[in-house]
Amino acid sequence: MSASEILEILHETIYAEHGSALEMLAACKQTKSTSLAYGYFEHAKDEYNHTKTFKEILSNKSYNCYVDIVRKFRITPIGLITKGYVSRKGYLIETMNLKDFIAYVYTNELLAETSFAKIKKLLGPNNKDSNRISNIMDDELRHHGMAKEYFLKYYPELQPWQLLYYKTKETIKNKTRKLYHKNIIFLEKIFFPLYSLLTLISSRLLIILNLTEYKRTDCNLMDINARSIL
Amino acid sequence: MFIGISAYNHESAIALVDESGTLINYYREESLSRIKGDKSFPKRGLKRIIKLHELENDSINSVIFYERPLSSFLFPLKEATKYLPESMNLMVHQIRNFNKSSLSCYIDLAKYCPGLEKKLIYTDHHLSHTLTSIAYSNKQENLCSIVVDGFGDRSTSSISYVKDKYNIKELWSSNYPASLGLFYSTITDFLGFSINEGEYKVMGLSAFGKSESKEAKLITRLIRWDKCKNEIIMDLTYFSFHKSITNSYNHKLKDLLGEPRNPFAKLQPGDKYFQRYANIARGAQDITNEILSEIFKFAYQITKSNHFLFSGGVALNSSSIEYLANLEFVKSIIIPPSPGDSGAAIGASYFGYLKSNLKNKSIDKPKLYPSEYSCIEQRDHIKKILDTKFRVVTNKEDESIDLACKLISQGEVIGVIISNGETGPRALGNRSLICNGSNKHSVNVLNTLIKSRSPFRPTAPAMRKHIAEKYFQLNPAIMDSYNSMNATCRSKKDSISITYPITHIDGTARLQIVQDNTILWNILERLENMGIEILANSSLNISGDPTCFDIIDGLMVCSIAPLNYLLTDLGMIKKR
Ligand SMILES: [Fe+2]
Ligand SMILES: [Fe+2]
Ligand SMILES: [Fe+2]
Repeated sequence: MSASEILEILHETIYAEHGSALEMLAACKQTKSTSLAYGYFEHAKDEYNHTKTFKEILSNKSYNCYVDIVRKFRITPIGLITKGYVSRKGYLIETMNLKDFIAYVYTNELLAETSFAKIKKLLGPNNKDSNRISNIMDDELRHHGMAKEYFLKYYPELQPWQLLYYKTKETIKNKTRKLYHKNIIFLEKIFFPLYSLLTLISSRLLIILNLTEYKRTDCNLMDINARSIL
Repeated sequence: MFIGISAYNHESAIALVDESGTLINYYREESLSRIKGDKSFPKRGLKRIIKLHELENDSINSVIFYERPLSSFLFPLKEATKYLPESMNLMVHQIRNFNKSSLSCYIDLAKYCPGLEKKLIYTDHHLSHTLTSIAYSNKQENLCSIVVDGFGDRSTSSISYVKDKYNIKELWSSNYPASLGLFYSTITDFLGFSINEGEYKVMGLSAFGKSESKEAKLITRLIRWDKCKNEIIMDLTYFSFHKSITNSYNHKLKDLLGEPRNPFAKLQPGDKYFQRYANIARGAQDITNEILSEIFKFAYQITKSNHFLFSGGVALNSSSIEYLANLEFVKSIIIPPSPGDSGAAIGASYFGYLKSNLKNKSIDKPKLYPSEYSCIEQRDHIKKILDTKFRVVTNKEDESIDLACKLISQGEVIGVIISNGETGPRALGNRSLICNGSNKHSVNVLNTLIKSRSPFRPTAPAMRKHIAEKYFQLNPAIMDSYNSMNATCRSKKDSISITYPITHIDGTARLQIVQDNTILWNILERLENMGIEILANSSLNISGDPTCFDIIDGLMVCSIAPLNYLLTDLGMIKKR
């Protein structure tokens, strides 16, 4: 894997970790129970620390690279939304019921742990960052364990095999998400000529459109029609 | 009730004005979503305002969006047609994402508050800015309003004459893409900082640069003011923001200024390329000062008013404000505490108010802390977090303040989450990190250990007025700006404050004169008796996060950063 591809993975991981920190913080604020609030608070704290660690790793790998390559790996929080790590609809706790939410945490923590194992491998053995990633993996397993414990305590009618069901469901969802993403990129390529054609047609219209008619010079701005969008 | 909304371009916000013309609540969406620079429709702010004020659709007179959506969509697109096929990607991107632009305000409003979309009206982007400024001005007649931003819904800067609040005539404007704001953002990008986020870093860096350097002089080739035609002239051959989604500048700018800065490289005085970057920043700051002063001169000439309102993103450049206030014809400049787009939600709500059928309409000057909140609302909720990880040292207000003073005098940094939040972006004491402003070690802990800020950026000071008069050369034209940290100010010659860590390398500080009956006032009143006259005051957050909003955000900062104390509505809290 090329250096740039590794940077790309670290870059995405930072958003994923920051996204989970925010999901947990939102859960901490929304939950009705003070003890759950405490649990989510501690979980969010871990995720913030993971984010910080991955940011440092990315920085250390990028500062003496060619500027044109690393410019695109700058972290801008707004990317959490544009890249889909936080849904435009809101945080999971705002859109899911509690049971599904906890099942989601239960599965995703495990999936996160697996993906960090891959990153650790990519960075190579005896890497000074290896230890830090191992610690993060421990955290993820702990989060997974906590969610499982909570799940079995509050939903005792749910048996471990049902947790397995949730896990399979979430794994499939994740896979389809990736597949969907790949498809989207593929479709984008196919449809680009069509979009371009549409853009060319609209550009013809835009060229004839005379926007100077809507100039404001010498107008009382308070008198302009408040229903007009132009 | 009138709800003003700004969104989709910069940090989104929501403002609520009542029928007596008072701003009764205001939220930046980033405060609630915890995503810095969140520009999505302010759904959380809207939800909170509706719940807190028990609003029903019937009790809302109008919802006002701060710009004309179709204009803001079409103007840049029309410009891009000139650069086809190079601009094809940009155009395709804009057209495909129309539902994430201002055009979707109607749909989003209908989605989150069905029925309310029928009450949606629109105003001009720069008019929203102007009305925000008017709200904060004691004088509301015969004013000259100057708006300078990246891009509004039709222009990038404008001059209007405000006869009174119902007669606001636009006299001059500069059209997209010639934009002082976008020029500054491009330099921000070139210097490795993020656009819309790192502009103030460029300003801080410029203090280390030299105006007579080669780099600073080269910058003058990029943008200038044409004195004959009275317009901003930008050499677009160096820029790409008007035809590309990913690049704000091109190879020609690299040929001119050399290699851009790697965003991940450390930037410290003394480093190999530090001086070159500082000189570039200096050049950008100098040309900004120069063009702004030409706009002010021209504005004075055409409006004959020497009382100015100044807003738009460029008005966040506190170093320019000091420069402008020194122009001999300037009597006063009013800058709202949040002069950028998020603050424009306030102007938008006043637009609805002024257009309503109500009688005897008057605009009440908004408070500096309009975001309604108290830690008490979350007291029971955070019980287990507090019991396990923290300790309430005292829950008595007076004792808490005494303790805060004692700790500050011992060199400690304190976090504050007290009652309502600021308009932003500057923390004015209710959501702040504070410490002794003359103690180098404390300021260093605040700046680098807690906030991970670059060492070249100064921390702002807060003090009471008589102390500010003792140490700084205050300019009477911008007295109000000192209340909201909108302007820098020069230390008096030979004053001890020059040696304080809150003073920048060039002898200036972005000071805050604290208002009576605020938490900082109470603390400073006691600290002065203990020999501490100046506090360092920075927003309470960790790097990359928005300023804290509620107590949970504050406790989180304590948990992940080396911050031990939090002064709150619940008393003084200590980390275990
Ligand atoms: Fe994590
Ligand atoms: Fe986790
Ligand atoms: Fe603006």
